[in-house]
Amino acid sequence: MELYEMTASELSRLMRDKACSAEEAAKSVLGQIARVEGKVGAYITVTEEGALQKAREIDGRRAKGEELSPLAGIPMAIKDNICTKGVLTTCGSKMLHNFVPPYNATVMERLTDAVVVGKANMDEFAMGSSCETSYFHKTANPHGLGYVPGGSSGGSAAAVAAGEAVLALGSDTGGSIRLPASYCGIVGLKPTYGAVSRYGLVAFASSLDQIGPFGRSVDDVAMLYSAICGGDPMDATSAKRDYPDRDAAPSGDVKGLRIGLPKEYFGAGVEEETRAAVMNAVSILEKKGAVIKEISLPSTGYALSAYYMISSAEASSNLARFDGVKYGYRAEGCEGLTELYEKTRSEGFGDEVKRRIMLGTFVLSSGFYDAYYKRAKQLQQQISAEFAAAFAGCDLILTPTSPSTAFRMGENLDDPLKMYAADICTVTVNIAGLPGLSVPCGRGANNMPLGMQLIGPKFAEKTLLDAAKAYENEAGSFRAIPEIQ
Amino acid sequence: MKIDIQHIAKLARLSIEEDKAAMFEKQMEDIVAMCENLPEITAGFDPVDPDHPMALRRDEITPSFPREDILKNAPHSQAGCVVVPRTVE
Repeated sequence: MELYEMTASELSRLMRDKACSAEEAAKSVLGQIARVEGKVGAYITVTEEGALQKAREIDGRRAKGEELSPLAGIPMAIKDNICTKGVLTTCGSKMLHNFVPPYNATVMERLTDAVVVGKANMDEFAMGSSCETSYFHKTANPHGLGYVPGGSSGGSAAAVAAGEAVLALGSDTGGSIRLPASYCGIVGLKPTYGAVSRYGLVAFASSLDQIGPFGRSVDDVAMLYSAICGGDPMDATSAKRDYPDRDAAPSGDVKGLRIGLPKEYFGAGVEEETRAAVMNAVSILEKKGAVIKEISLPSTGYALSAYYMISSAEASSNLARFDGVKYGYRAEGCEGLTELYEKTRSEGFGDEVKRRIMLGTFVLSSGFYDAYYKRAKQLQQQISAEFAAAFAGCDLILTPTSPSTAFRMGENLDDPLKMYAADICTVTVNIAGLPGLSVPCGRGANNMPLGMQLIGPKFAEKTLLDAAKAYENEAGSFRAIPEIQ
Repeated sequence: MKIDIQHIAKLARLSIEEDKAAMFEKQMEDIVAMCENLPEITAGFDPVDPDHPMALRRDEITPSFPREDILKNAPHSQAGCVVVPRTVE
């Protein structure tokens, strides 16, 4: 087995035992990038030189007997909306095509020993479900190059699935980690709102955005999550609390665990093969001792509408900062400030971003605020209350991650409503600020991966990872890298 | 609901090309129609999550970025300042 095919846990052990060096691991992953990146297109920027330099530094420190973190030397991809000091951070947009952050996001400060091999492609400003709205190029699904990898963190997911990274960071506002994890057959965690600092994450919808990890095993995702979680004075929304079980490996024990299946997530619109694969996973967990019960989350049908109101409203406000003055793209030949703003924004943003800014501007505009935005915020509280009531009777909730497998490139590009529907199972988790984990659970008739979603109460990441590990132990690992053709 | 796309675009400091206006208008109207299914909820809403109140850090002076580092990203700068088109005659 090649080093790039190994999980982070295995690589970490090998490096600690000096059976391989960080430089060898980095070279193996960079070699895989050289072989398949032309077909997959997972990256906007590959940081080969920086990666090798960091790997050699880690090897030097290890040789001196320095105590290093478990992630030291692990080759990693970082979504291109997370600020990396001195490394281009474009957010998949022409607007930031030349932006080199003078600082690191807090998550990068917590991963100083990791070897960053590149900045991953994404839908422009994280707005999309297919990774097709990037200004730079599209990313293909490593399991079938004619299919989308899901979005918006499609580059991060595709990089991990293709062996072009061992771990990756993404961000999730309405499903942008879980959907691509599901479509690419890997594990992806959207942590509880407030569990991971967003300082240095380019903001999309601040009440929903969350940074989280991707990996090819449950242990790997747990390992990366434990490194990045925790409060941060630079992010007022990060929770000030302890994480006593942050370093405990996922147990794989589900004995007596009460798992709720919300009937609204298994109804019309969910493909039969998806339902069958998820129910097969449920029966495996039941055999391992979990207690399964049907529950109801009645407001689910309204969630997608509420999500688009809230996220677009926040986006229209957050993206007002892109005006061509202090950084990023600036239109040429403008007379006066208003023309500078208008021309810069019209030339710098793509159509999907413009659509969402305008939708947000509309729902916040005078005369429409009460009818749209306020109702969406009220619904948000109702959805949160329904989840809280459900968690009185169960420890976690299990659903499909998406109604179907990945769709073909270009299939939904001209129909925003069809595109938005891919997120129907994931948006509620962001609306309620809960943790959600996507775990592979089989394949569709087109041989593309399917995923199931585990949802927990706030800060119950450990319960999700324990249950996912139980399934992984029985179902076999998700680590195999497909032949890219 | 009929949407005046050019008016919304102006509010958002965007300009929409004439050949794309009809497409945007139709798509926005479809999205807004989807969102009109939201139920009437009489309960008020509390903008602060009681489980998770935000706390601001103390306003303490810490070293800031060197000016030249910040200006490296500016599209146009001169004499340590960002340059913009003339705004006052």
